[in-house]
Amino acid sequence: MTPRPGSLEEAGRYRSVMERGRLRVFLGAASGVGKTFAMLEEGRRLLRQGRDVVIGVVEAHDRPDILTLAADFERVAATDPAGGGHLDTRAVIRRAPEVALVDELARTNPEGSTHKKRWQDVEDLLDAGIDVFSTLNVQNLESLNDVVFKITGIREQETIADNVVRRLADVELVDASPDGMQERFSAGKIIDAALVDAATGNYFRQGSLSALRELALSWTADRVDDALVEYRSEQGIEQPWQTRERIVVGLTGERGADIVIRRAARLALRSRAELVGVHIRSTRGGARDDRLLAEQRALLRDFGGEYHELVGDDVASALLAFAKAENATQIVLGTTRRARTWERFRPSPAMRVVREAGAIDVNLIPLEDLARDRTVRWGPGGALRVQRRAFAWLTTAAGLPLLTVLLLVFREHIALENVLLVYLLAAVGVGMIGGAQPAVVCAASGFLLANWYFTPPLLTWKIDDAGHLFSLFAFLLVASAVGFLVGRATRRSAEAFRARAQAEALAATTASLHPGLSADASAVTRRIRDVFSMNAAAVLRHTPDGWERLAAVGTTILGRPEDATDVIPLTDDTVLALSGGSLTGDDRRVLRAFAAQMAQALERERLEREAAGAEALAETDRLRTALLDAVSHDLRTPLATIMASVTSLLETDVDWSREQTRAFLQAILDETTRLNRMVGRLLDASRVQAGAVHVFVAAVGIDEVVSSALAGLGIPADRVDLDIADSLPPVLTDPALAERAVANLIENAVAWSPDDGCVRVTAGKVADRIDLRIIDRGPGIDPTQRESVFQPFQRLGDAPRGAGVGLGMAVARGFLTAMGHELSIEDTPGGGTSMVISFRPARQVQTQPVETRAVGHG
Amino acid sequence: MDERPRILVVDDEQQIVRALTVNLQAIGYRVDSATSGEEAIRSAADHRPDAVILDLGLPGMSGLDVIQGLRGWTDIPIIVLSVREAESEKIAVLDAGADDYVTKPFGMGELLARLRAALRRRYDTDLLAPVIATKDFIIDLAAKRVTTGSGEEVRLTPTEWGIVEVLAKNQGRLVSQVQLLKEVWGPTYGEETNYLRVFMAQIRRKLEPEPALPRYFITEPGMGYRFEDGT
Repeated sequence: MTPRPGSLEEAGRYRSVMERGRLRVFLGAASGVGKTFAMLEEGRRLLRQGRDVVIGVVEAHDRPDILTLAADFERVAATDPAGGGHLDTRAVIRRAPEVALVDELARTNPEGSTHKKRWQDVEDLLDAGIDVFSTLNVQNLESLNDVVFKITGIREQETIADNVVRRLADVELVDASPDGMQERFSAGKIIDAALVDAATGNYFRQGSLSALRELALSWTADRVDDALVEYRSEQGIEQPWQTRERIVVGLTGERGADIVIRRAARLALRSRAELVGVHIRSTRGGARDDRLLAEQRALLRDFGGEYHELVGDDVASALLAFAKAENATQIVLGTTRRARTWERFRPSPAMRVVREAGAIDVNLIPLEDLARDRTVRWGPGGALRVQRRAFAWLTTAAGLPLLTVLLLVFREHIALENVLLVYLLAAVGVGMIGGAQPAVVCAASGFLLANWYFTPPLLTWKIDDAGHLFSLFAFLLVASAVGFLVGRATRRSAEAFRARAQAEALAATTASLHPGLSADASAVTRRIRDVFSMNAAAVLRHTPDGWERLAAVGTTILGRPEDATDVIPLTDDTVLALSGGSLTGDDRRVLRAFAAQMAQALERERLEREAAGAEALAETDRLRTALLDAVSHDLRTPLATIMASVTSLLETDVDWSREQTRAFLQAILDETTRLNRMVGRLLDASRVQAGAVHVFVAAVGIDEVVSSALAGLGIPADRVDLDIADSLPPVLTDPALAERAVANLIENAVAWSPDDGCVRVTAGKVADRIDLRIIDRGPGIDPTQRESVFQPFQRLGDAPRGAGVGLGMAVARGFLTAMGHELSIEDTPGGGTSMVISFRPARQVQTQPVETRAVGHG
Repeated sequence: MDERPRILVVDDEQQIVRALTVNLQAIGYRVDSATSGEEAIRSAADHRPDAVILDLGLPGMSGLDVIQGLRGWTDIPIIVLSVREAESEKIAVLDAGADDYVTKPFGMGELLARLRAALRRRYDTDLLAPVIATKDFIIDLAAKRVTTGSGEEVRLTPTEWGIVEVLAKNQGRLVSQVQLLKEVWGPTYGEETNYLRVFMAQIRRKLEPEPALPRYFITEPGMGYRFEDGT
């Protein structure tokens, strides 16, 4: 494009013939996600392609990476030299670049500008045919303002109507993982550490970031429906995903069925339902592909779904029974299209589920490209279900006469031997379908039919020819024997298939048991019940007082082995009790093999328990030793000083000067004070340990708690930087316990700070709570070590003197927990540790105090 | 008749009783002592002390019972000695009518200051110095005004002055939140403790050199306020 002459008039002329400019918005979940960076990068890419790109305005926040990038561009300076931060629309239009970069679309213009909002300026640029790149945070969007406030506790003042963005812009999401964001925040790259207060600290918490990111993603995908937003704000953001529904999705293992899982997961997400996947392992094999099934299982797990496997040939009934047992509210199934007439004669499982689902909603997802993958469901290799046996009998009863009629038509041309061969074939076929019994009956019928219709004299039972007689009886024997054998083989293979199906289901179960994880007995018991179609199953342990139930599922709760129909011993003192199913010999074999595995798991669990017990004992022992060390060292040191001073004073040989006497006395006082504090802390710790912390909650100001904590500590004023607005509402807490907890935390923070360092104590309202942050610039605590600082007698590395007997943190957390406050450790941006206590504000009688004329004065 | 104030010391710990007796006598008080609650009540009835120093951790009859027993017939000042671990008890005894408390272990100076403040209330409220001078400001109770060390007047609203006045008149003594509310706002108040916080913050901003670390207007969280002269 050629550079255009640069007057407004010219630009106006161009406008009439030119296309309107396009707006691209880089949408981010939070400040610092990298929107501006992304915008500049894209701009630079175009620049390198030789396009004409200028910066209208970029808010660098003094971030070096952005400043470096921005240096590559020409800047159209604002006419007002002081207002470096605002967009000069006229200058940009006059300059008429192809693309203008305008940061922060939602910004409000300074007083006296042509437009109130920056986006209106941007609209002018677009009208002038200039493409604009801009940035926007999700909290700037009008519709999300409330939700974001609920999440972060910060009310965004600068908003922009959603439809403006949607109307004007192509939105591009700039995504960053919450982890990465937090890292950058902690490193002080997003905001200067000195500016971090309770609100910004909360904003950059993992939970907030994840929620904001989700919002940004949803909005971009145009999927934030009002109901969801409303629901979340009604429920309070603390429990956004409270489970209300259960969605059961049928996993077939067929190709293309992952669409069904995705769809179900979406449904579950939308209604905040629990997702449960179930695969009905048929004994017939069907269209299942184990590899595909495994993939679908993994997909289900990715969506947070729970997986179950059942064995059953009647897919529809098994699925419905399961769904009802799980209290499912919805079923999602994939379905292939079939001819309507065919559907009438033999409804697909999906249709049967629809018909019999009752109160449960059924969602059918069409699987278009599945038809070609469909495998033949009929034919040899099937099992001996009732339907198949009936079919075999039907074939015998109807097929044989039909066959006979056919044979009669061609009687002239077919020898008796061939007739018999045809009957033999029929007997074998029936045997393959329906097993030995129908096969033998079919053979006998064939014998009689051949005798009646095909051996002279015809239509009598008599047989004249001895050869024919021999042939007939040989046929009867051979056909019966072959039919019987074929039938039995068929049944065997069906049983083998069933056993394999069960074994696979169990293997899936055991595979899902993590090694080392104490075999989640109830989950396993539940699967056993599922797989073997039991009414109830339980794992029982024999104790001197009777039977203890380790796990139980089912319609009835089994409490004793006597109530069960089947009892399988697991270990010396545990049994698996089952009721309500009929187990075949093969079932029992499989079950026993599995029981052995479960027994191992139980045994392992017992050993782990014992090991844990031993560990706990060792821990107690360690604590006791530590306590003794602490008492002997930390208490004895001040005692030694006191004793030395006192004995010196009592010494009659020496004449101490007045100053010397005072020095001794001061030493005694200092050490006594120190001793007193230690004893107090030991007592506090023992109260925490014994769970004997009595809490008396009152409405207190955080500033008062902190002030009196500081007063008690006697820490020099220049070591603590207090920043607590006294307009903060009072909080609900136990004043005395809170004071001690806060004092311990501040003392600890001061002890860890560098000598000239200052501990910042700040408080602020965040959402519906009040956070107190104690921020030090010390060495910081590794996230993996955070839990251990709360252990009694814990001193990280070489603790500085004054850290006491290492009980301060343990006491602080003990007290705060007893009062129901949350204490968390965070990184101080730029290095150090921030302790955050969350308080609940007290309900206030009246927020505005009344200025009253004092009574009794004047 | 002996005009020296008479103090009853109640503690089951002989060492403490001895230390207190020696100190109090050295300053010029007359001292009675008791080592149990029953003995304390008897002694108080017999000798009519001017103030009681009462340990809460007595064997047998509890300190709380002793306070209730005494308050049945006398309003002499009672100063309670308590260990730090008994906050709830502390509030209960203040509610029951104790005047002040000192946490064990204590410095003798602190206890004596509290005792002096308590006795002042009893004897010579009117004789209280009409001008209280601290290092940073001067409260003139007669002229109802506060000036800085350099003589500049500090402007206080009527309510702020009301609070300063009540606290200053009770110099060194714990004034409960309820007491302060009733005296400044009126007898129908008593729940509105958040008023106090806001006004105290304003007063501190005007008078304290370091409002966040008050030296004169001390908060005892959950209990009340105390004006100290900063020494």
